[in-house]
Amino acid sequence: MDEFGSKVVELFTTPEYIDSLLHGFLLTLQISFFAILLGLLIGLIVALVDTSERSKWTILPKAICKIYTTIIRGTPMALQLFIMFFVIFAIRGFPQIIIAILAFGFNSGAYVGEVIRSGIQSVDRGQREAGLALGLSKFTVFRRIVAPQAIKNIIPALGNEIITVIKETAIVSMVGMYDLNMAAKDIGSGQNMASYIVPMFVAALFYLVTIYLITFAIKRIEKHLQKSEARG
Amino acid sequence: MEENILEIKKLKKEYGRNKVIRGIDFELGVGEKVVVLGPSGSGKSTFLRCINRMEEPTSGEIRLNGELITDKNIQRMRQQIGMVFQHFNLIRNLTVMENLTLAPVKLKLMDAVAAEKKARGFLRHIGLLNKANSFPAALSGGQQQRVAIVRAMMMNPKVLLFDEPTSALDPESIGDVLALIREVANTGVTMMIVTHEMGFAREIASRIVFIDEGHIIEEGAPGEFFSHPKTPRVQEFLQKVL
Repeated sequence: MDEFGSKVVELFTTPEYIDSLLHGFLLTLQISFFAILLGLLIGLIVALVDTSERSKWTILPKAICKIYTTIIRGTPMALQLFIMFFVIFAIRGFPQIIIAILAFGFNSGAYVGEVIRSGIQSVDRGQREAGLALGLSKFTVFRRIVAPQAIKNIIPALGNEIITVIKETAIVSMVGMYDLNMAAKDIGSGQNMASYIVPMFVAALFYLVTIYLITFAIKRIEKHLQKSEARG
Repeated sequence: MEENILEIKKLKKEYGRNKVIRGIDFELGVGEKVVVLGPSGSGKSTFLRCINRMEEPTSGEIRLNGELITDKNIQRMRQQIGMVFQHFNLIRNLTVMENLTLAPVKLKLMDAVAAEKKARGFLRHIGLLNKANSFPAALSGGQQQRVAIVRAMMMNPKVLLFDEPTSALDPESIGDVLALIREVANTGVTMMIVTHEMGFAREIASRIVFIDEGHIIEEGAPGEFFSHPKTPRVQEFLQKVL
């Protein structure tokens, strides 16, 4: 126990260790943040294409979206990361962080697309009909009626996806990137097994607090959205 | 000669192999109150929903005031065709007031002030002015349907379509909703009503249309229709429901 205590003290008093953890944490946040943004953008496009009416103009985009989601959802994230790093962007000097953002963004987009699509489709058909029967345009019906109702169904599942992305970025350590996960391993390495415990617990705490805060924020948004349909 | 507001020719609607409307010719004169009757699954709701293209007809022509309804002009046409749904379909994320004013303001038929004034007048009339800022979830079914009727009236429609307006209501609210439809009828607006309320049909209709298996098989004035039905199918139907 004494040893454990001294390890904690050591970790928080050695500037290089703190530096490593913070740098790793920052990289995790950067990759996560931009990957989530990219995923939202791709997901939104996929969902809109998927829910659009069938016509000669939408056949090709619909097929592309279908192939994209099938491939992404049917292969491991780690493999997608490797393909991005060692096949598609096997260019010397290309910034690793951008490759990682693209890998996680493209992956997340497929899942976000499903979340948004099912959110849109779960809006009662009669709501759309009511707007159309009044002579409103499809665009107005979507913006004023379907989208606001779909968002309520989408937010909770989207929260899950955001959390998943943050945790999944830990696998960038597999391609040698120095994220929070890698920092924890790095600090503990070269010593005995016990020396791993403290940095790994600290890294776990970083992840946990980040995700807790996001969960909390999403619950607040959910509550806020529920209020706009309250009785009374 | 009587002026027709709606002219429907050779209307067909098929879902794959399932032929729901098998060729309907129909004319609706200005000010008429047509009640569409028929057994469930006969295609009467589909017929009504084809008129404002809630269902895309497979073939046939529909003219409103002589103008053919097409994909291009459907938005403008729908502004003149009000619809009241079985399940009310008030927009859940909008208040009662917003439900009434959204379309007329957005489509520039009225400015926001005029629309709100008109909506208040309607709501006062149906005794729901105190619910103006409530969301639909706070209203009973009967209240929601009366708001939905008023929402259709906000557009000054040339024709009002009612798709089983009381089928989803409890017996107590049915009376309130029928009373409002009766009042709307008295304003002279042209109406088509799909309903199972035989008493109401007899009272309000200027003409009854009976649909079975996607065809109009009999039509006529309500007195004649109910007391001396011509076809065996209608005789059988009336025997069961009356």
